[in-house]
Order: sequence, then structure tokens, then C-alpha cells
Amino acid sequence: MNARLLRTLAIAYGFMLPMLALKAVYAFWPILFGTYLAFTEYNIISPPKWVGLRNFEELFGLGAFAARGPDRDFWYGLTNSIKYVLVVPVIQILSIGLAMLVNRQLPAIGLFRTAYYVPVVTSFAVVGLMWNWMYNQYGPVNFILTRLGLMDAGNPTNLLSNPAIALYAVMFVTLWKGLGYYMVLYLAGLQSIDKSLEEAAVIDGASRWQVFWNITLPGLRPTILVCSLLSTISAIKVFEEIFVMTAGGPAGSTYTAMYFVYAQAFQDFRYGYAAAAGLVIAVVSLIFGVINFRLTRGGNSS
Amino acid sequence: MPDLELRRIRARKRLRVLLERVLIYALLLLILVISVYPFVWTFVTSLETSGGIFEFPPSLVPENPSLRNYREVFSLVPVARQVLNSLIICVLGVGLSVAFCALAAYPLAKMSFPGRNFIFYAILATLVLPNEAGLIVNYVTTVKLGLLRPETGAVGQFAAIILPALPSTVGLFLLRQAYLAVPLELIEAARIDGAGELTIWRRVMLPLTMPTIAAFSILQFVAIWNSFLWAVIVLRDRELYPLAAGLLDLAGAFATNTRAVSAGAVIQIIPILIIFFVFQRYFMRGLEGAVKG
Repeated sequence: MNARLLRTLAIAYGFMLPMLALKAVYAFWPILFGTYLAFTEYNIISPPKWVGLRNFEELFGLGAFAARGPDRDFWYGLTNSIKYVLVVPVIQILSIGLAMLVNRQLPAIGLFRTAYYVPVVTSFAVVGLMWNWMYNQYGPVNFILTRLGLMDAGNPTNLLSNPAIALYAVMFVTLWKGLGYYMVLYLAGLQSIDKSLEEAAVIDGASRWQVFWNITLPGLRPTILVCSLLSTISAIKVFEEIFVMTAGGPAGSTYTAMYFVYAQAFQDFRYGYAAAAGLVIAVVSLIFGVINFRLTRGGNSS
Repeated sequence: MPDLELRRIRARKRLRVLLERVLIYALLLLILVISVYPFVWTFVTSLETSGGIFEFPPSLVPENPSLRNYREVFSLVPVARQVLNSLIICVLGVGLSVAFCALAAYPLAKMSFPGRNFIFYAILATLVLPNEAGLIVNYVTTVKLGLLRPETGAVGQFAAIILPALPSTVGLFLLRQAYLAVPLELIEAARIDGAGELTIWRRVMLPLTMPTIAAFSILQFVAIWNSFLWAVIVLRDRELYPLAAGLLDLAGAFATNTRAVSAGAVIQIIPILIIFFVFQRYFMRGLEGAVKG
């Protein structure tokens, strides 16, 4: 019996070996070593030096750093990352609406669905470039804004170079790129809702709004949980769109928490300090995840 | 008399349906324009060689279409080389990750052994566990593995890019789901015939789950083709840049040459669009499957 169990174990782990080895190196190890690094000073060349809580003291402006105060770059970045969570409700509401719009049997509807999905399969490298052109001083966005009278036609300004607006302009790009992704997920959610429920409600004289509020939305709740969780996590760690579009500018107005981590690690070579910042962001991200779970009532569809 | 009344109600209803349909299409079209216009603009700009790049109103068709910008971008950066790099990274990345995920999913779906659930849920947890320091540690790991040493050359650097992309949680999950649907009797029958587990995996499991394998391959291809950040961080030789990273390089160096950069952008998107349109069905299937669990 033991020989057989051993054989099964050997076969099972043999099959999983390449996957597990790579997961261990590139997914589990970063969690352990990243947490350890947060308590060290490390520049890759010399071995990590244990510094206790000093990195966190520097981030929060405590202990030895009480006189200097909290690391302003970090808090500024974190504030922007938290502002970025604004994208979550907007993208969820719009994509639910869009999914309902395309969830009907109409001629050419498949074409529209496909077209809405094209931004999703496009690299942020290209998306960033395209939207930099869209936002150009004399580009299409300003063309529309000046026609609508929202911008002075004589002297249009690039939205991305306006510190008060740049972050929202980048948020719009995130929204633009992500909408189709969530649309597809909600479409799957909508199609899993029992049609007879909606039909019965309509026969009983329910209005469209009542059907949506009492049947469709509760039916979508598990999907809403997953989608808003995914988009909250990616909002807190927003980086790629910033990296390709504004590099944190103008005047630091699009500087985010992950940009801080990137800059500390790959520009200043302070890997320990960057890891500490990463850990704080991870905790913030977890908190938002829990809030999100509470708000969607755990995704229970009843 | 009631017949006339009925007809009037019916006509009114038909009008309402028609009006609603017009409104729906208007809305669909508006969103279509917003989704697609940046692509149209980029494409048009890449074909134009004269006139203002940014003009009021923006033009929808190129004035004197020519491929000059494409020729120019080939002379500014080694585009052909970058395409080759992207292909190498994608083929190896997709092939190996499909193989590793398909192998690992088999015991997780069809064998019972101690530690099975623990391993599966530990891997699944990496999807939601925040790991903001991951990029840093993976960079440190890559350096410590010696992959970036000059003497390891291109092989080391390609390995550095590809390895972290291989253990895909989504792939493992999709394939496990697909295997679960394979009837156990088939596997038992093969075992009675004396087939080894590797043979069963290759002769029974793989052929029966081809649609899922195709779906995951396409998802993975798009993800790898489009990624640039890791390559920018890790690669020492610009010669080895994949297309997406090379495009950023091009945009940085020739920011004012919008036409050439837009041609570069078009070259980067075209393969993805072709794959997406051809394999759309598989793509959506993979995407939906990945979140349904």
C-alpha cells in the first residue's frame, strides 16, 4: 500500500515539478523575501543589512526621521493611487451598462462587441502613445473640447500637462482600455442569470427598472465582486499607464505609489526601502479588498 | 371597431420599438467611435507623409497614402530584429507555459494524493494576494541566478524575460477545469491497458482538452506579445528588446517624429489584431473560463 502511495506521490509531483519550481521562485519567494527585504538596507551588490523598522520609520516620519516628517513623495504617490480607486465604481457601472446594451439579439451586435474589446488586447505601450497623441495640444480630444466650448479655442492646452487634470486624463485611459474586459465578464454573468425569472417578473407587471434592480443586479453580484476586486487591486498598483504616458509628471501630479517603488528600486537602488513601501501598499490593497468584499456582501446572489 | 383600436396600439408599439432601436444603435456607434478612433488616427497618421499631423478637424482618411513612414521606422530602429525577438519570446513563452500548466493540472484534477488541495489553493491565492514587492524580488532573483551576466549572452537574457511568465495560475486553473470534465472511465480503461500516466496525459487528456489549450495559448500569446515593463527593467542589450519595449524606445528617442512612431505602433498591433479576430471565439472562452471559478 505504501509503495503504491509513494508511486502516486512521485508521479503527481513529477507532473507538477516544473510548475511548482517556477511558482516557488517567481511567486512564493517574492512574498517571503520581499517581506524580509522591507526590514533591510539592500542595494543588490552587498548582502541585505538588517535595519529593523527603520525603513518604515522613514516612510511614516517616526523615530530617527521624526524631525524630517513622513516621506512626502511616498504619501503623495499613495494619495494618488487611492484617488485612482475612483476608476473602480465608474468602470463597473459603465461596463454593466455596456454589457446590458450588447446583450441582445440585434444585427451586427457581434461586431460592436468585438470592437469594444480591441483596446483590451492592445499593449499599454501602444495605448500610451496613442492617447498622448489624442491629448496633444492640437489633437482630437482638444478639438472636441474646444467645439463644446469647454476649452479656449485660441489657446488649447494639453490635458496631460495640466497638473490639476493629468491624473484624471490618465484615469480615462485606464477606463477606456479596461471597459471591454469587464463588459465580457458581465456579459457572461448576464447570460448565466435564469431568463425565466426576468420573464416571470415582466408578466407580473414589473417595470424594467424593477427587473434590473431586483433580478439582474442580484444575479450579477458574484461577477461584481470578482470584477470590482480585480479592478481595485489594479487601481492601487497602477503603474504602466503612468510609466508610458506621464512618467509621474507634470509636477508630480500623476506620481503613484508603485511609481515610488519603481523609482526607489530601479533609479535609486534602495531595494530595501522600496520593498518596505511595497509592503505598505500591499496592506492598503488588502484593506481595500476587504472593504470591497463588504460592499458587495461577499458576492452572495440571494 | 376594437380592431382599429388594436391596430393603432400595435402601430404605436412598433414605432416605440423602432425608436428604441435607433437610440440603441446611436449609443453603440458613439461608443464604437470612442473605442476605435485612436486606432484609426494612428493608422491614418502612419500612412500620411504630408500635411499637419494635428489638424482641425482631424482627418479620417490619409491624403497621400504611402509606406514611407514604415520604411523610415525600419531605418531608425532594428524593427525586424525586434519582431524576431518578440517571436522567440512568444513562441517559447507560450509553448513552455502551456506544457507546464497542462502537466501540473493533470494530477491536480485526476489523482488523489496528500497535499493536493493545499497546493492548488496556494497557487490560486497568488491571484489575489497583493505582492507589490514582487517586481523588485524577481529582479533580484534574476540577477542572482546569473541570467544577466555578460557571458550568458542572449540566452540568459531571454530566459530572464520568459521564466517569470511561465507559471501561469490562469492556465493551470483553466486546464484543471477542462480535465475535470474528462470521464474517469477513459483514464481507468487506459490504465488497465497498461498505459503509463505520461501516455494517458498525452493520448487522452491533451486531445480531449484542445479547445481549452487553444484558448489559453491565445490569452498567453497576447499577454506576452504586449508586455514591455519587465523587458525594459531586465534587458541589458537593446538589441534584444521585444517590439513593445522597442516601441517605447523609439518613441523616447524620436518623440517629434510622430509619423514614424505611429508606423511602429501599427506594426506592433497588427499581429495581435489578426490573432484576435481569427481566434476571437477561443479568446473569449478562455477569458470567461478564467474568472468563472
